[in-house]
Amino acid sequence: MRLLRRFLLPFAVLVVAATLGTFVLGREHVAASSPAMQNPGMKLADSSSLTAQGEIEAGRILFTENCSACHGVEAQGSAPGAVLTGPSLHGVGGATVNLWLTEGWMPLRTSETQPAAKPVVLTPAQINDIVAYVVSLAPGGVPVPSSVPLRGASPAEGFFMFSLNCAPCHTITGAGDALASGVHAPGLHASTSLQVLEAIRTGPQNMPRFGPGTISNQQALDVVDYVTKYIQHPTNIGGIGLGEVGPVAEGFVGLFVGVGVCLVAAYWVGDRTAREEDDHGHDEDDAQGEGGDGHGQNVLTAATETAVADV
Amino acid sequence: MSAPTGDDGSAMPVTIRLDSQQFQVAAANPTGMEKTVALTFLLGLAGFAGFGAAFWVNASNVWLGMTLGVGFLGLGVGMVAWGKYLMPRGPFSESRHSMVPEPADRERIIGDFSSRGKVVIERRTFLLKILGAAGAVFGVVAMFPLIRSLGPVPTDFSIATTWRPDSLLVNIDGSPVHSDSLEFGGMLTVFPEGDVGGPLSQTMLIRQQPPAGETHIVTGPGRETWGPLGYLAFSKVCTHAGCPIGLYQQVTHQLLCPCHQSLFDVGPGQAAQPVFGPAPRPLPQLPLYVDAHGFLRAQAPYDEPVGPGYWYRGND
Repeated sequence: MRLLRRFLLPFAVLVVAATLGTFVLGREHVAASSPAMQNPGMKLADSSSLTAQGEIEAGRILFTENCSACHGVEAQGSAPGAVLTGPSLHGVGGATVNLWLTEGWMPLRTSETQPAAKPVVLTPAQINDIVAYVVSLAPGGVPVPSSVPLRGASPAEGFFMFSLNCAPCHTITGAGDALASGVHAPGLHASTSLQVLEAIRTGPQNMPRFGPGTISNQQALDVVDYVTKYIQHPTNIGGIGLGEVGPVAEGFVGLFVGVGVCLVAAYWVGDRTAREEDDHGHDEDDAQGEGGDGHGQNVLTAATETAVADV
Repeated sequence: MSAPTGDDGSAMPVTIRLDSQQFQVAAANPTGMEKTVALTFLLGLAGFAGFGAAFWVNASNVWLGMTLGVGFLGLGVGMVAWGKYLMPRGPFSESRHSMVPEPADRERIIGDFSSRGKVVIERRTFLLKILGAAGAVFGVVAMFPLIRSLGPVPTDFSIATTWRPDSLLVNIDGSPVHSDSLEFGGMLTVFPEGDVGGPLSQTMLIRQQPPAGETHIVTGPGRETWGPLGYLAFSKVCTHAGCPIGLYQQVTHQLLCPCHQSLFDVGPGQAAQPVFGPAPRPLPQLPLYVDAHGFLRAQAPYDEPVGPGYWYRGND
């Protein structure tokens, strides 16, 4: 019992430190493994790293090597009953191809409900080539935006549109969330401005497609501005964002760390200092042992007992 | 062994000496502990000084909070440690007399209780009646502001959204919705013209590819004209607890409510049937048509109440 009491305080401090550490360090680790940060050619929130004209012939070779197994040699889609299935890419538009390749969703690694974002193995030049090739096969779809001019964009308007259209799935802090049927909305902390704009316009997989009739071009740029400024660089006035997932994390820290520390402190304040046990074998537990209604008097009686014994 | 007692049964005062256990401090190493406490006080001092500096230079909340916290922590820990480890250990007992009263006092108290006093208190029933009347009137009158402040009698307000026949569908910024505004797989929050932002009338407009060779999407019998050009309009107010349903998964054809994860199927032939979660009934659907200028309008209001409740409707 004395042993437990002696090590209770340091152990509690250790638990608290470990909990805090997982929140602070864990978040950094997640962000570092995102595709945009892995690929040295991509810069965060940079509107000038846009796709140059790619080489169609080089793109055809790359497509044949990396994509044709599922999408067909001419991107016409897989044959019915094929083992590896992939949809036709005719008319999907350059923005779709560019988005799926730069986010690392393609090439697919395994059959899954929603492709995971993997480290991008293709260089930006190679991606440009593949985009150029797929676009050359058939017209249609949203082209790769030629520029993402964020000068003069209104982050306030962007926040308004974001909270109306994007926050229900991506959460108000852009942390991403699980949805229905095995689908999830990814976090927005590692996306470039071009990727955000392409995603808005092309509506990848389960994301709705927001055309100019729903979000105008200027509004889309406002949203991109808000995401790249305030979503990706949260103020976190309190110091630790805890992953910006909201009250569950904050409640956890508040209860386990905050109230836990208060409990430990209260225990320490109220804990009666241990007496020397070798003198008469009485621990302070004995003094408190006689509970009951008249415990005040019992303590006094016991104290006088031991005091008398000393004398 | 019991405490020594005197002739009247009360405990005798006990003599303790200056070298007895109670006067010793609890710390095994008092000078070392004193140094430690001094250090914590200095830490508190530094914390408070740091707070002053942080405040002066308008530092962030993190700095303000940390310095203030360290200051109070240092002082608090130091003071508690002082009390625990550097003060005489105690406890110091103070014996007191027996609580049992003297026999003579006992007799007197018992006598008083039995006779219940020699003084008679007269009951003034007349005054009591007047007081009762005043209290009764107060009780009745006190209900008046309570009843009035409960507000108007609730009507069936959730049935009456502001949608009317031929209401124009408008965006959040008031602009009308044209029949080519949405891409296939797109979504938009729309309101009736004149009630932009109306919480009951908010409607989720989605667009899906109609089946091959058809111009409309039919979600059920009697609704053949409700989905022109692939447009479907459902109430955005969840039928479980009223949260706005802003999540649309276009490939799995589902509307998801973020609050309690009610899932509504808006796939081919499905009229927002709840397939998961606590929602008890499907989302009401707004019948649409495309007017002469190509703008989307409502044929009629919702045919059933929107929002929570009315769980007996719409389920077969």
